[in-house]
Amino acid sequence: MPFDMLLGAWVATGLTLFIFTFLYEDNPLFKVAEHLYVGVSVGYTIVKAYDTVVVRLIYEPMVKQGDWWLLIPLFIGGLMLTRYVPKITWMSRLAFAFIVGVGSGLAIPRVVSSYILKQVEDTFRPLLVLGETGGVTFNFNLADPTSNVNTIVLLVGVVSVLFYFFFSIEHSGPVRHAARTGILFLMIAFGAAFGYTVMARMSLLIGRLSDLIQFAAPGYGRASIWLLLLTVGLLIAWAFRSPERPTS
Amino acid sequence: MTFAERMVHIDRRIIFLVIGLCTLLPLLHPVGLAINVSPEVRAVHDYIESLPPGSAFLLSMDFDPASKPELYPQAVALLRHAFKRNLRVIGMTLWVSGTGMADQVISQVAREMGKTNGVDYVFLGWSPGVGSLIITMGQDLYKAFPSDYYNQPTSSLPVLRDIRTLRDVNYVVSLAAGTAGIETWYVFGKDKYQFELGGGCTGVIAPGLYPLLRSKQINGLIGGLRGAAEYEVLIDQRGLAVAGMDAQSVTHFAIIALVILCNAFYAVIRTHARRSGQERVGRVAEE
Repeated sequence: MPFDMLLGAWVATGLTLFIFTFLYEDNPLFKVAEHLYVGVSVGYTIVKAYDTVVVRLIYEPMVKQGDWWLLIPLFIGGLMLTRYVPKITWMSRLAFAFIVGVGSGLAIPRVVSSYILKQVEDTFRPLLVLGETGGVTFNFNLADPTSNVNTIVLLVGVVSVLFYFFFSIEHSGPVRHAARTGILFLMIAFGAAFGYTVMARMSLLIGRLSDLIQFAAPGYGRASIWLLLLTVGLLIAWAFRSPERPTS
Repeated sequence: MTFAERMVHIDRRIIFLVIGLCTLLPLLHPVGLAINVSPEVRAVHDYIESLPPGSAFLLSMDFDPASKPELYPQAVALLRHAFKRNLRVIGMTLWVSGTGMADQVISQVAREMGKTNGVDYVFLGWSPGVGSLIITMGQDLYKAFPSDYYNQPTSSLPVLRDIRTLRDVNYVVSLAAGTAGIETWYVFGKDKYQFELGGGCTGVIAPGLYPLLRSKQINGLIGGLRGAAEYEVLIDQRGLAVAGMDAQSVTHFAIIALVILCNAFYAVIRTHARRSGQERVGRVAEE
């Protein structure tokens, strides 16, 4: 077993167990792991961003390939940093204006087309389908997302939920019934989303426990077992720590 | 305090222990429950199956190590399938914090399948911009990625022969843990450059992506660890995801049982409180 893999296994196991100690009580082991996680992820991001953006996309093209026009976007990006100098903070607004303008110009038409128009188009599907012999067919299969009955359910759901969120008129009479139907659809949707979230969280736990089981093998020096004993021991020692002296 | 009240106020650490045991025991002693494949996962698999050898397949691993348990098995299964079909695999990521892990998974599976970097696959790495990066890829792939993750010039790589833009890619799959992800690929990529797009995602964001699936904006969706297990069944290479399914099922049964019990205890408490209230009112009226 290469040393770096062995070290990685022990570190991963230790930090996983330290994080799990929070299930018992907040404690210094959890704090160590939490701070390490935040620090390492930020540090990794900074280094990768520096290597990819500053070195590979700015320095090398300018110096090795002569793309000196990159100084223009570099200058605009640099204007952002004037935020930290109170006297010239106003210059950062130029950079923000450029970024917001370009971003909006790129995003708005695409988002309107993809999220709004395409979804509206899909909501209004034919309720009846013309058959080959000239008759009409109606598919009652609820399990088929493209069936005609599901098209009606979807249409009723979309319209009733929109009624619920329309607060410019009072929810009374027929509007009240439509809004309450919308609430039912919202409850079902949130329930499904919550169920998926529970499944996702359980999957994360399964992933961590699978790794702990793997790292309990002799090839990894039984990392999980030794570190579990160490963690439990430290937790017990911390739980029986002497109480702090009260200040007079 | 009645039994029902004691149960409703039980120490939550006991519930943590129950869930932990329900997850651990099936991992140690698997049962082998059946896994049914859903149509949305089969759609991704069937599309890759339909691609002729030599087709360009772009896998965007848009996740970081926090979502590894759900999306890493999906990436492994998709890469194994793509390499088995002799597709030209282009790997990349829109998440800077996932770059190392994405390189690890593609290199590991390629080594396992006997594939060569630069010839059978390439890992482009990460580049800033998200939406504008995808637009640049749609106009000129080599401008978006002049070199790959290992600093090899992309224009000289045999694996990218005849691929100038995203229009030349036969299938794009985004494995997403959030934003940027599948929606970003659709909005800035497929809607404009008209390539076929499939998705894999964590369980948390899966419900929000079903409207895209229904409207055929994406052709298939692999949702969470369950989706990865279904894909492993389809390619007949059971791995981490299938191994976790027994634990997932047992944990879900435990949670359902706890929810039902809790509601039953709550109903008992409410009935008891109502009866106590009625008795008190009756006594006051008599007095």
